[in-house]
Amino acid sequence: MESAQTADFSQNTSKTKVAKSKSLWQHAFSSLLKDKIAVIAFSFVLLYAVVALGAGLGIIASDWTKEIGPSYAAPTFKYILGTDIFGRSVALKAIKGTQVAMLVGLFTAMLSITIGVTLGAIAGYFGGRIDEFIVWFYTTFSSIPYIMLLMTFAFILGKGVTSVCLALGLSSWVSLCRLIRGEVIRHKDREYVHAAAAIGGGDFRKLFLHILPNVFHIVIINFSLTFQMAIKSEVILSYLGIGVQELPSWGRMIDEAKDELARGVWWQLAAAALAMFIIVLAFNLLGDALRDALDPKLKGK
Amino acid sequence: MKNITTLLTVFAFILGIGGCTKKVDVKERVLNLAVGSKIKGMDPIYANDRYSSNEVGRVYEGLLEYHYLKRPYTLVPNLAEAMPAVSADGLTYTFKVKKGVYFHDDKAFTDGKGRELVAEDFVYSIKRLADPKLQSLGWWVLDGKIKGLNEWRKKNSALPKVNYDEVVEGVKALDRYTVQFKLSKSFPQFLYSLAMTFTFATAREVVEHYGKEFLNHPVGTGAFVLPEFKQSNKIIYTKNPKFRKKLYPSEASEEFKQKGYLADAGKQLPLVDKVVVHIMVEAQPRWLNFQKGNIDYLGIPKDNFASTITPSKTLTPEQKKKGLILSITPSLDITYMAFNNDSDLFKNIKLRRAMSLAYDVNKSNELFYNGTGLPAQSVVPPGIAGNIKGYVNPYRGTDVAKAKALLVEAGYPEGKGLPAITYDISVSTVARQMGEFFKKQMKEIGINIKVQANPWPELQKKVDTRKVMMYGMAWGADYPDAENFLQLLYGPNKPPGPNGSGFNNEEFNRLYKVASLMQDTPERTALYEKMNRMIAEEMPVIWGLHRQDYVLYQGWLKNYIRSDFETGQVQYLNMDIEKKKALLSKF
Repeated sequence: MESAQTADFSQNTSKTKVAKSKSLWQHAFSSLLKDKIAVIAFSFVLLYAVVALGAGLGIIASDWTKEIGPSYAAPTFKYILGTDIFGRSVALKAIKGTQVAMLVGLFTAMLSITIGVTLGAIAGYFGGRIDEFIVWFYTTFSSIPYIMLLMTFAFILGKGVTSVCLALGLSSWVSLCRLIRGEVIRHKDREYVHAAAAIGGGDFRKLFLHILPNVFHIVIINFSLTFQMAIKSEVILSYLGIGVQELPSWGRMIDEAKDELARGVWWQLAAAALAMFIIVLAFNLLGDALRDALDPKLKGK
Repeated sequence: MKNITTLLTVFAFILGIGGCTKKVDVKERVLNLAVGSKIKGMDPIYANDRYSSNEVGRVYEGLLEYHYLKRPYTLVPNLAEAMPAVSADGLTYTFKVKKGVYFHDDKAFTDGKGRELVAEDFVYSIKRLADPKLQSLGWWVLDGKIKGLNEWRKKNSALPKVNYDEVVEGVKALDRYTVQFKLSKSFPQFLYSLAMTFTFATAREVVEHYGKEFLNHPVGTGAFVLPEFKQSNKIIYTKNPKFRKKLYPSEASEEFKQKGYLADAGKQLPLVDKVVVHIMVEAQPRWLNFQKGNIDYLGIPKDNFASTITPSKTLTPEQKKKGLILSITPSLDITYMAFNNDSDLFKNIKLRRAMSLAYDVNKSNELFYNGTGLPAQSVVPPGIAGNIKGYVNPYRGTDVAKAKALLVEAGYPEGKGLPAITYDISVSTVARQMGEFFKKQMKEIGINIKVQANPWPELQKKVDTRKVMMYGMAWGADYPDAENFLQLLYGPNKPPGPNGSGFNNEEFNRLYKVASLMQDTPERTALYEKMNRMIAEEMPVIWGLHRQDYVLYQGWLKNYIRSDFETGQVQYLNMDIEKKKALLSKF
């Protein structure tokens, strides 16, 4: 039953490829728009992205190092989220922390997707020795805990954002690679691929222009999930003191807060935890919504 | 069966944490201490930091120790029978070693029974401190001071194997129980050095049996035994069952007499059965454990200060209700941010002064020490001769305008042309905040600081291997003499000696050499003051604070006194188990 359906679907795809795939995305987009939660989640992601961009370009929160009041001032209208030990604005620190979190998330997700998709597609499409090698490689690679990897990078490059991004990116591509490999194996013998071969399409063309667009929804969902995983990991690493060093990070804010709580200073913890909570939740919700909208198997359910 | 019991115990323990009633084991007196840093190892010759030297001091002993109940600090015999006979020229010291002192049982000895301590053990231990192959971290204490020892060291550094059997004139065993030291020159602090862990007695067969692993197999003569040392979060010492007859002192300074510190006078030491040292790097776990009664005494973390101490420096009622006792004592120490004076960059005195001027020590005192510290003007803390009363260092912060002007003179207007300066600190939230504070202050004059956090043993290693530009450190007195602070900046004491800053000033070195040979006289004090002032304005490091210790201890802990020389202190501590039971029920 299922095989007939998919065969039918792929037939359609191969016949009127452009129009049909466009309508798939269109369909996804319109169903996303109908999903209120997804829209809200997406607007939060956008908001964070804009804030991060603004902070990155120095438009907002560039003077986070400035003393704005006494140390540990409680939140008031004057000091929106209170101040930290040096009298710096916690709100600005949280915003600057957003920049770090989004940067790490984006970079990690991009890196992980680039590696995961490339290797997964190659392994699945070519099979044989290449597949064996890549499978061996990722199983071996995935046995390295990311903290170890991070330590290695920190040792070579010094602790900081770059090391965190590299370590997280290089240790998070394996699951996507597995998924893509499996999907490509399923797709490569489908009729639309044979059709592409019949009209003279080479390996590259078949793989990247025909098969990949059909598995790309997985990539998008994964992007969203890797993004929030990276944000969480960055916070944990910075909390432990092996992550971001110079810039404010939510993790470092929580690290400072754990001592400050003893003197009743809760705002730093609250700001960082809330900022992280919202973005992680937004990405998770968005990931779910994307999956609902993009996965052809869930269509109509 | 045994496994099941263990499992049940573990379960009971886990449940016990959640429960509110605590069971106090009445049969055993267990002392619980908290240490804020990892321990490097248990070898006396490497114990150059307070943390490892305290641990070493629980197992090992030396010829002398500080009288537990006397202030000013007074040396008394420990493994020595009596204070030494000193020759007329003050260069020969003859000690009688106590008879009937045995090393802890260990498989390194024949039949596994600890052998008796003899004079030769001290000869061996001193030679080991000088061993050129071992790179001991305490060699600076005796460097150039004992007749023939430097020559022995030099000769053996070229040999494939160090020859311990060669007799060195300056440190000889005259008979089984007599050890004689001959100094090559006057060294008034010599006796103090015999109360430092570096010179404590180790047994040759144990060292040779364990080789490199000796670091993890402490076998001494002390009141406590540590079967094996592992890098874990708990170090458990048990009472040495064969400890010699050593009694709690029956004499005390007036202040301690009045406070009832003589209640245990004449009792056999140690007074507790077990000592558990908990390694807790972060302040809050230490504090919460202390507040739950799991730790017997603790310095108050900065963030808990406000909720514990009232503005009039007494305990809050809530803490008093728990039976806690507060002890406030100035400590003989100094915190500082050191420059690596070996680097060309910091040979520039104007740069050093500019940075010092930009650093706000009062703010740092307020932020990190709740205003309890005393801003240091130079290296010698108040309380010992050599400290200059009323002296104010002209190159102390904060004077940003002056700092900026000096920076221009130094050749780096607005910090231009300066590389990013790394500032190494140990790893903990507070240390990181201090690093950030420093970075922030330097930014005001345009200097870019990069803060790097390292685990404590690694930080020390970095300093010793000169892989630092700047680093934060504190120095606590090894003995109550300004010389112990001035030597921090004596050129030849460069790492692995204690002069991590690598500061090397000919005039200062010359004066130091003169002063270090002098007995305690007004002339020497004058010279100390002169050196102290000179070094102050040279700014080899940025002076921080002389700290004050705010220690809280539990109502059941007895005989606790905050001391600058904590080595061996645990043997005198006692506890009232019944009181612990009663007090814990109120927690």
